[in-house]
This record gives sequence, structure tokens and C-alpha cells, in this order.
Amino acid sequence: MGAIPTDMPIPVDWYLYLSAALFVVGAAGVLIRRNLFIVLFSLELMLNAVNINLVGFSRFHEDLVGQNFVIFVMAIAAAEAAVGMAIATALFRNRRTLMVDLFDRMKG
Amino acid sequence: MTEKMLFIIFAVLAVAGGIATITRRNVVHGLLFLVFTFLNVAAIFFLTRAYFLAVVQILVYAGAIMVLFLFVIMLLNLRSFEQEEQTHRRQRWLALALSVLVLAEFVVVLAGVTFTSARGGFTPEAIAEAGGGTKVFGDALFNTMLLPFEVASVVLLVAMVGAIILVKREKRAGGATRSWEPGEEPTPEAAEEEV
Repeated sequence: MGAIPTDMPIPVDWYLYLSAALFVVGAAGVLIRRNLFIVLFSLELMLNAVNINLVGFSRFHEDLVGQNFVIFVMAIAAAEAAVGMAIATALFRNRRTLMVDLFDRMKG
Repeated sequence: MTEKMLFIIFAVLAVAGGIATITRRNVVHGLLFLVFTFLNVAAIFFLTRAYFLAVVQILVYAGAIMVLFLFVIMLLNLRSFEQEEQTHRRQRWLALALSVLVLAEFVVVLAGVTFTSARGGFTPEAIAEAGGGTKVFGDALFNTMLLPFEVASVVLLVAMVGAIILVKREKRAGGATRSWEPGEEPTPEAAEEEV
């Protein structure tokens, strides 16, 4: 690739478009699917879209705070995944299903 | 130029993997497509010169978190639920229309805005001079970001304890794993699945 260019080789807008596309795909997954696991996957997709944004802007502004923040997003994603899996396991054990619209016991 | 082409390739693959994730009927297939998406996102981190984050993305996301998902899916033995209708029928078209609308909104907003770099000084050359990306990254993480770092560790501890308590089986006299109250009827779906 030769000498390292000082300016960003990829425009920051491209990161934003990619991030928007991934985020919308994740949001569509949450809205459309009934399976609790697919909903959790979609949440991870949306978190990753945010990470792309943060990394892109970190490079654009030549500042490392964005990259540091990604680490925290990943830590929270790991915690969310662990608790989400635990809730899924408990729900499946009690209700024998993972379809989110069947979990309506707390409905008034 | 090469970087731009690689970015486009990885971006298209990442979005395609995402779409495949939310359209697969089989949960394990969806999970594997999700891992594929994460690997492509890691490649984009590489292109952005966020090398440490790219490796963490592969190790933590594609490795640890996804293996956790896979373990739970296999633990629950979801084979018999694959054939169930897995989409909200009435909601599907409305949700798709809304998603496209939101994407169009994003594109319109992004097309009309220009960004100016804050020039924080951490150019790739400056980072290379200061001892490499991981060193600079660690310096920032353990100095300016020390408090959030410690808070994140507490959050992880709480999540760990919470997960263990949620999954722990309570001892019951009848040895039943179901938690129906006496006199309460299970839902038809649940009754159907009962072995």
C-alpha cells in the first residue's frame, strides 16, 4: 500500500452509511422476528453498527476516546448477552417456547 | 484506492451477513451468519487502523459471546421449534416499511451534512511514533478512562452474579421444572410441546 497517507483513506461518510445500514437491519430483525435468540442477535448487530461509527469517527477526529468507548460498548454487550441468555434459559425452562409474543403473563 | 475497494467489499458482506442473520429460520445458521458479519466488521476495523479493536472484536465478539450463544442454543435443544412460524405476520410489512423509511432518513441526513475533523493529533504516524496503537490505546484507557473502566468491571460482576441466579434451578417438592400455579392452565402452545 506504500506510504501511509496522513488523511483518511476512506471518507467518514462511508462508515456512517455502513453503520446506518447495519443498524436498520438489526432494528428490522427486532421488529420482525419472534424468536428470542434472533432478537438478541439483532441487538448485537445494532451494537456493532454503533461500534463502527465510533471507530470511524475516532480515526476521523484523530482521537482515541472513540476507540476506548468501543471497549466499554463491548463489555456492556457481553454483560447483556450473559443476562439475556440467562433470561432465555429461565423462560424456556418455564414456558417451553422462545416466541417473544407468547410471553404475555405480565400484561394487565 | 485499494482501501476503498476493500471497504466496499467488507461493508457489503457485513450487511449481507446481517440480512441473512435475521432471515434464517434455523437459529444456529443465523448465529453463524452473525459471526460472519462480526468478522467483516473486524476487517473494517483493521482498515481503519484500529488493530487492537479488530483483534478484540474477533476474540471477544466472534469468539466468546457467540460461543456463549451457541452453547445456550445447544443446551436448550431447539430442534423441535425450527418449524414454527417465526415472524410476526401482521407486523412484518409494517416493520419492513418502517425500516426502509428509517434508512432513507439516515441517508438523507448524512447526504446533507459535512464533517470537519477535530484534528486530535493521534494520526497513524503519531501513534506509530508513540509506540504503537495498543500502547497508546492502553495509556488512554488506564489514565483518562480509568473510572469508566472500573465501573465496567463492576457491571460485568453484576451481570455474572445475575446470570447465575437467573439460571439456578429452585428446589421443588415435586421435582417439577415447570412453575405453574395450582389451578392455572398452561398456554395451548406450552401444552402442545410438553413431552
